[in-house]
Amino acid sequence: MANLNIDSVKARTFDTIVIGSGISGGWAAKELTGHGLKTLVLERGRDVKHIKDYPTTNKFPWEFEHHGQLPAVVTEANPIASRCYAFGEDSAHFFVKDNEHPYVQEKPFDWIRGYQVGGKSLLWARQTQRWSDFDFEGPARDGFAVDWPIRYKDIAPWYSYVEKFAGIAGNKDGIPELPDGEFLPGYPLNDVEEYFAAHLKTNYKNRHVISARCAHLSKPNQIHLDQGRGQCQNRDLCQRGCPFGGYFSSNASTIPWAERSGNMTLRPFSVVESIIYDEKLNKATGVRIVDTNTKETIEYFARIIFVNAAAINTNLVLLNSKSNRFPNGLGNDSGVLGKYIAFHNYSAHIGAEYDGLKEWTVDGRSPTGGYIPRFRNVYKQETDFLRGYACGFSAYRFQQHKYEGVGSSLKEGLVKGDLSPWYVGSHMMGETIPKESNHVSLDPKLKDNWGVPLLKISVDYDDNDEKMKKDYIEQLTEMFTSAGFKNIQPSTNHQAPGLDIHEMGGARMGNDPKTSILNKWNQVHACKNVFVTDGACMTSTSCQNPSLTYMAITARAADYAVSEMKKGNLG
Amino acid sequence: MNRRTVIKNLALVLSGAVLLPSCLHSDGATFIQLKHIQLNAGQEKLIGDICETIIPKTATPGAKDLKLPAFVLKMLDDCYNKKDQEAFLAGLVKFTDMVKAKYNSSFSDLSVKDREAVLAGIENSAKPDNGAKAPARRRRPQKHLQDDPLMAFYWDIKQQTIFAYTTSQYFMTKLVFYDMVPGRYIVHYPVSKLKLA
Repeated sequence: MANLNIDSVKARTFDTIVIGSGISGGWAAKELTGHGLKTLVLERGRDVKHIKDYPTTNKFPWEFEHHGQLPAVVTEANPIASRCYAFGEDSAHFFVKDNEHPYVQEKPFDWIRGYQVGGKSLLWARQTQRWSDFDFEGPARDGFAVDWPIRYKDIAPWYSYVEKFAGIAGNKDGIPELPDGEFLPGYPLNDVEEYFAAHLKTNYKNRHVISARCAHLSKPNQIHLDQGRGQCQNRDLCQRGCPFGGYFSSNASTIPWAERSGNMTLRPFSVVESIIYDEKLNKATGVRIVDTNTKETIEYFARIIFVNAAAINTNLVLLNSKSNRFPNGLGNDSGVLGKYIAFHNYSAHIGAEYDGLKEWTVDGRSPTGGYIPRFRNVYKQETDFLRGYACGFSAYRFQQHKYEGVGSSLKEGLVKGDLSPWYVGSHMMGETIPKESNHVSLDPKLKDNWGVPLLKISVDYDDNDEKMKKDYIEQLTEMFTSAGFKNIQPSTNHQAPGLDIHEMGGARMGNDPKTSILNKWNQVHACKNVFVTDGACMTSTSCQNPSLTYMAITARAADYAVSEMKKGNLG
Repeated sequence: MNRRTVIKNLALVLSGAVLLPSCLHSDGATFIQLKHIQLNAGQEKLIGDICETIIPKTATPGAKDLKLPAFVLKMLDDCYNKKDQEAFLAGLVKFTDMVKAKYNSSFSDLSVKDREAVLAGIENSAKPDNGAKAPARRRRPQKHLQDDPLMAFYWDIKQQTIFAYTTSQYFMTKLVFYDMVPGRYIVHYPVSKLKLA
């Protein structure tokens, strides 16, 4: 019996454990297995194999039971998921349903989740802009949150490293506030986007329209072919999973790569209940999981642990990892765990028409669009609010069908039609300021089906967000007006935080263990063999789409972890 | 085809022939199994005839050829909430009564010209901002634009008929070309070269 136990423990012991298989967990798995470490990857949801488990990927609209629309029973049962733009009949199977995994909204928070191997990397918007020192130095310069313990020079080589493997399309734009990277050919701007770019260049200082960098294989390199991926076909159906591997996902890229190393053990249906802390050894020794099928509790052991459970859930795992040493959650000596949650403010849009360039149009579809890097408060503080916003910017025209009437004239109207004028549209992507009051915590009573406490989420906009939103509308209105755009229509919405799907923080990085959870290598200050490299680690949010930064931070931390293990400093 | 299959198919055809007439009674069972909306065969026929009036058979197939009425009913049954379905059913009654009062006839017995006039009459009586907007790519049912259930009934059928038609295999392969792959993205493309169907 004793031998059996020893054998059983041995079978449950790995070099490393990665919690989560989404965009950052996939990278941790790839990097750690690539260094020969036997790695257990835990995923709370089911497995999703590239192509094989994309059931809708090649369907034509008429092949869906409701031609793409969702039945009312689904939308009514899932008001939260239904608010996400990507939730449709072709993609609903990749979203967590509202009643499957409840949480407590102390304030409205639309928590969009994908519980499966690959996580939300199947569903993301694939925008990949680098941060610069204007972002990393933000908190220190403007006096909020805490200083980032890293600077652009620390992460720049890792941006390059992940960009080369993931495949990022973009142009070398030479803009200091949005550094260039290792790009595949960029998708071109269309005529009106170019026109607006030229207008800004002539009439404004430091305002640019560029082709948004995106994780699409515009022209694959050998490293992408080696992953079994091919050129993006501009299908514009990414949320179904791409049979070409045209965009980067864990499923198409990092997870199969880790699998091929022979060093990865992937365990789906594994909810992590907590991280096990050994008070004699002063380190984490493993994790305790609940098998979601059998409800069995199982312990796994490893020398180091990477926590990549997706920002908010990473907070949950850490908060629930209680011990005598850490009664308030693993590494939470400072009391800041779960606090300083922030997100991106997507609550304003603006649209207009343009009369010019009528002889030109676009043929086909682009996987990306135009992007206006942050221009507010970049070089100095110039407004009555902190920080700023990036803007999406796209121009488009379409065939105008006639829907009036009935009969043969209607039939003709649905097929024929003139080309519309050009329309332009922009949306705001605002930085929000992390605050102690924006926090998550464990519900003292309510638990989920696996005995894990429910998370209470208390996150809201503030006055800075309102001022920034107003400024976005004013600035874009002025820029559109001076460019000669007509019928300018600003609009604001009241979408709850969370729907941006850029929730960040709670276990922020910092130099001082008294005010942060993680050090500059993403190690828990007080428990060095636990690394947190997903959105939970973010000290501030800037306004770029964050996934690329998570990838780079993860690869950097994994490299450090491996070198420390080799030196015998860890585990 | 082996003998056993032939017999089985023949039996299906025969049983269909026996069952069919009963389905045509106005108070009889319906052809299409619906989960939420209760319609009798006459109402189902009415909706089919409205669909056919909206998208008639011309040189190209019409609503009935493309089996659009069944899809429209499925959408109404599955994708509309209870409140919208109730408005739809109230509008159906109102529509039937309105036609009866005006023509002393059922919609289905009217000439094509009169059928078109009935539908055009409803559409023209809509307030200007309630124009017949039913873009083919709409993912969710259009919100009911005004309280009158007659409007709800008409716009629901029209939106879903247009949606059914423009997302049908026939429409997307024969009338317009839906090119899933290979993709292309050509900017600075002359309008003159664009093939507008």
